Order: sequence, then C-alpha cells, then structure tokens
Amino acid sequence: MLSRDRVGALLMLAFSLGYGALSFRIPLLPFQAEAAFTARTMPQALTVLGAVLSLVLLLKPGGGAFPSSSKFRWGGAALLCALMIFYGLGVRPLGFLISTSLFLIGGFVILGERRLWLILAASLPLVILFWALMTQVLGVFIEPWPEFLRG
Amino acid sequence: MLEGILAGLATVITPINLLMVVAGCFVGTFIGMLPGLGPISAIALMIPITYGFDPASGMILMAGVYYGAIFGGSTSSILINAPGVAGTVATAFDGYPMARQGQAGKALAIAAYSSFSGGTIAAIFLLIAAPSLAAVSLSFRSTDYFALMVLGLTAVAAFAGKGNVVKALMMAVLGLMISTVGTDQTQGVQRFTLGILDLIDGVSFLLLAMATFALSEALMAVLKPKSQADIAREKDAQANLGSMKLSRAEVKEMVPVIGRSSVLGFFIGVLPGAGATIASFMAYGMEQRLAGPKKAVQFGKGSIRGLAAPETANNAACSGSFVPLLTLGIPGSGTTAIMLGALLSYGIQPGPRLFLDNPEVFWSVIVSMYIGNVILLILNLPLIPYIARILALPQTILIPLILFFSLIGVYFVSFNTFDIHLMVIFAVAAIALRLLDFPMAPMLLGFILGGMMEENLRRALIINDDSWSFLWERPLTFGILIVAALILVVPMMVPYVTRALARRREAAGEGG
Repeated sequence: MLSRDRVGALLMLAFSLGYGALSFRIPLLPFQAEAAFTARTMPQALTVLGAVLSLVLLLKPGGGAFPSSSKFRWGGAALLCALMIFYGLGVRPLGFLISTSLFLIGGFVILGERRLWLILAASLPLVILFWALMTQVLGVFIEPWPEFLRG
Repeated sequence: MLEGILAGLATVITPINLLMVVAGCFVGTFIGMLPGLGPISAIALMIPITYGFDPASGMILMAGVYYGAIFGGSTSSILINAPGVAGTVATAFDGYPMARQGQAGKALAIAAYSSFSGGTIAAIFLLIAAPSLAAVSLSFRSTDYFALMVLGLTAVAAFAGKGNVVKALMMAVLGLMISTVGTDQTQGVQRFTLGILDLIDGVSFLLLAMATFALSEALMAVLKPKSQADIAREKDAQANLGSMKLSRAEVKEMVPVIGRSSVLGFFIGVLPGAGATIASFMAYGMEQRLAGPKKAVQFGKGSIRGLAAPETANNAACSGSFVPLLTLGIPGSGTTAIMLGALLSYGIQPGPRLFLDNPEVFWSVIVSMYIGNVILLILNLPLIPYIARILALPQTILIPLILFFSLIGVYFVSFNTFDIHLMVIFAVAAIALRLLDFPMAPMLLGFILGGMMEENLRRALIINDDSWSFLWERPLTFGILIVAALILVVPMMVPYVTRALARRREAAGEGG
C-alpha cells in the first residue's frame, strides 16, 4: 500500500535516478578521466546513496497515513505563489515602488484583509521607507520608477 | 600579557571608542535583522565609513557591527523563521517554535544571554590562548577538514525523530546534491545547470534557506488554517509575548549547556573555514545527545537547550575565528576576510608580528569584543519586548510581509529575478516534502557542508597522489572519522543492545 513514507521514497528515488543520469553529462577533459576524484565522483556517489536510502525507506514496513487535505487552503497558497511569480516578472519593468506596493496589497487581499486603511498603511509607507533606507542610508541602488518614467 | 590587556582596555575605554562599540552594535543589530544582510554585508558597508579612523577605532567599530549583526540575524530566525546567515539556521530550530508558542520575548532573551555568555567565555579564551591555539589550527590539513565536515554531518541524527533516521539522511543527501549544482570549483566544468545561465554560480545558501524555511513556513500557515482552539490559545499566549522571565530551573538547565557550547564553539571557530555554522550545528547535535531521552524529544519543539546551544556556539565561534586572523593573518571566515582587507587598508599586516608591532590593535580588538558583548546585552534587552510584538501583527498582514522580506533579501544580493522564481520552486518543493514528513534542517546542513566537503576531499586526494589511504593513515583524520561513525551508529544500536540484554536477563531469570 502507498503510505506517506513510500510516496516520499518513490519521489526521492526518481529524483536520485534523474540526478544520476544527468551526472553522466558532466563534461570531463581526457586527462581528468583517469583521476581518482573527478567532477562526476561526488554526484555519482550521492546518486548511489540517495537510491539506497530511498529503497530502504520504500521497503520499510508502515510509514504513516497522509494528512487529511480537505481542510487545506490550496487556493490561497497557490494564489500567493502566483503573486510571487508576478512580482519576479514585474519588479524590473514596474520599478520597486509600484511592484512592491502591488505585491503587498495583493498579499493582504488574498489572505482576506478588507480594511482599506490597514492595507494602505501597511504597504505604502513601508515600501517608501524601505526604499529610502536601502538607497539613501545603505547605498544600495534600487530603481524606484517604471521603465516608461525613467530618463 | 596583563600589560597588553590593560593597554587594550585603556584604548577601548575612551569616549570615542566606547561610542564606536555602541554605534557598531546598534547598526549591526539593525542590519542583521534584515534578511539577506548578514555580518559580511554589514562590515563591508562600514569599510568606507571607517577609512579616516584610527585603526583601533575602526576595528572596534567593526567588531561591534559583527556581534550586532549576528544577534540581529538570530532575531529574524526566532521571530519569522528566516535565518539570514548560515550561522543562525540552528537557532531557528527551537527559537521559532518557542516564538510560535507565545514565548518570543523569552526566546530572544535566551538568545541574548547565550550570545553574551558564549562571546564572553570565548573572549576570555582568546585572551589566554590565542597565540598557542594558532599553532594548533595550522596543523589541520585538508584531510582533517574533510573529516571535520563528516563529523558536522553527523548532527543530522539530531533532527531525526523516532524512526526518521533514514528520512533525515535522505534529506542530507538531497542537500549535498543541491550543493553540486553550478560550476565545479576545481575543474571549472558546469554541473546540473540544465543549460540555464543563471545556475552557473549554483544555488545560494540564502536563497535555499529563505525558500525552505521562511517562505515554506509562511505558505504552510496559509495552507493549514488554524482551528478556533488554536487561535484562542495563541491569543492567550500573546499576552506574554514580550515577557523575558526565566525560571530558576530554566536558568539551571541553561548554564551547563552554555559552558559546553562555548568551549566547543570557540575551538571549532579557531579552525579556519569551519566557523560558526558547523559550531552551531555540532553544539545542537551534542546537546540533543546529552539531554537524555525525555528532554531530547523536546528538541525542535521549543527546547531551551536547543536554542541556547547553537546561539552560544555561534558567538563563541565568532570570537574563535579572530585567532587565525590576528595571530596568523589567515581569515577563518568570509567576515574575517573582509576585516583582513580593512586591516591591510590601515597599513597593518595581521600575522605573528601584529602582537609585537601593533599591540594596541591586537589587544584593543580582543577587549572590545568583551565590551561589545556587554553593550549588546544592555542595548538589546530593553528592546526585546518591543521587537517581540512584531508577532502580534495579524496574519493577514504578517505573512505577505515575511514573503516580501524573504524575496527582497535574496533579490538584493544578486539583482536577478530568476532567483525569485527559483525560490518559489524550492518553497513549493519544501511544502511537498514537509507534508510527507521530511525534515528540512538536514537538507540545509548537507547543502552548507557539501561544497566544503568535496573541495577538501579532492584537495586531500591530490596531495596524497590519488590515494585514499589518508583516511586511516593520518591519526587526526582517522580519529575524527571514528568519532563521527560512533555518533551515527551507537544511537541506532542502542535499542537492539537493550532488547538483547533484556532477553538475556529474562532467560537468566527463567533459568535461575
């Protein structure tokens, strides 16, 4: 039967085998091929170790049931992940101030915050203060404005 | 030596230098609390400011910043599970659960007391034994370092719950695998980059730590909403959020832990390259083993010992890392490497002659470490109740802020948006692994030690003409490896031996 441990073991086994297969694609120069330790040695040793440990876990009796996922808020977590991806895509073209404000406001709204004053008070002043601290005090340059407003 | 100490004391206890220590501790704590900015960044930011200073004042300021940044890093580890530097990863294991149980003030106070004690004991060691220890640290070769990394990996066992040793080992292997991504340091070939240019430099520690600890923890809080009972319990607990009170029994429990971890931390810190990270992990593992079965179960769930040990050890190791810097001119860590650069820019050459040529710098740095510890404690204790209130923010506000500080901390290091996307991938993978009950800490330990382990093993093989015989021929290497093997194997054997002994006793009882 597929227990929690066995699913984990199968995933790790697949990962180890994939990792091991990729390790054969590490280029070696002709004079390095005969050395006792090459760029492939450690990855291949780790592949064997990973596969053996996965098999041990797979063959071990028992292994714990899956946690009940019916009460999980998959939607909220997925939306936050999507928001982080959009933040990564938008931080350069939109500039730090706009993209970060939108990210924080989006995060608050996804998690169910509806008090407008709190949403604005927890995002805009923080973003501006953080930007000022990094650029003016610590000397780390961050582009504040979107591309179309830059000189 | 006494003359030197008095001279150092005289240099440090001037109004301007005391001001330097206070300013250094304050600025360091503040910068260290920002994810992504650790002691290295904090000291690097101070270099241009200290150019015009007298060398002793400059070094005193930097030592203050160093300690402050380490304490600041512990604060973000404890409050939001975001270890900004490798040295404070182990602090989060028990500090964060304590904060979640409404004991944030207490956890921060334990961190402050432990850091102070670790730093103080190590500063005393430094005063007494610096020159002689330098010779010992020089005798360590790459083979011994490799063995030391293996010994560090045995701390994995500390994170294995009952019957979870295989899972903990699997996660350590996964961490070692991730550490091989990027350009191979010796041969210059790319490994596992999948043709992606952004992976040529490999995966950064900060990215992995933030994604698997801070991001995954925040996302898990969204994924698993709290029950009404949990919310009510948390509200009750938050009434004591800022409380720093420790009972007499708790202090009694901490004292021997601090003593042992200071000694361990200092000696590990003296070895160039080993540093605060290995010291904190080893202290955590050691204390878990010494705690006894009842107390050992509490590790990872908010154990006082589990918080005091790594906090003490990492501060003691920071003092220890000054031994090779000041006496040999060898920087033992990234931070001390920057300090070496600063010393050179003042026209001071660290090394055996520093002690003779610039005794005021040598002794004033050592004395300022102690003064820095005292000032750090005085500065931070009153602030703890206010810092701890961060956790009283509603989750709807706190979680997006944690996500923002984690993402931006990593982005500000590389200014590469690929890192943000990679963090999301790692965070999702970490959530899947956590749901399957795999511990995250061994993976981070494997990742931290992986690169150093491979490099030292390869160097050892090159030095020994590709022969593996150094593993058993060099006594120090062999000794460390045997200790590592015993640490891993003995706890696994104990249940079998106990069962066999019980059976024999039973049989003897029946027979008699």
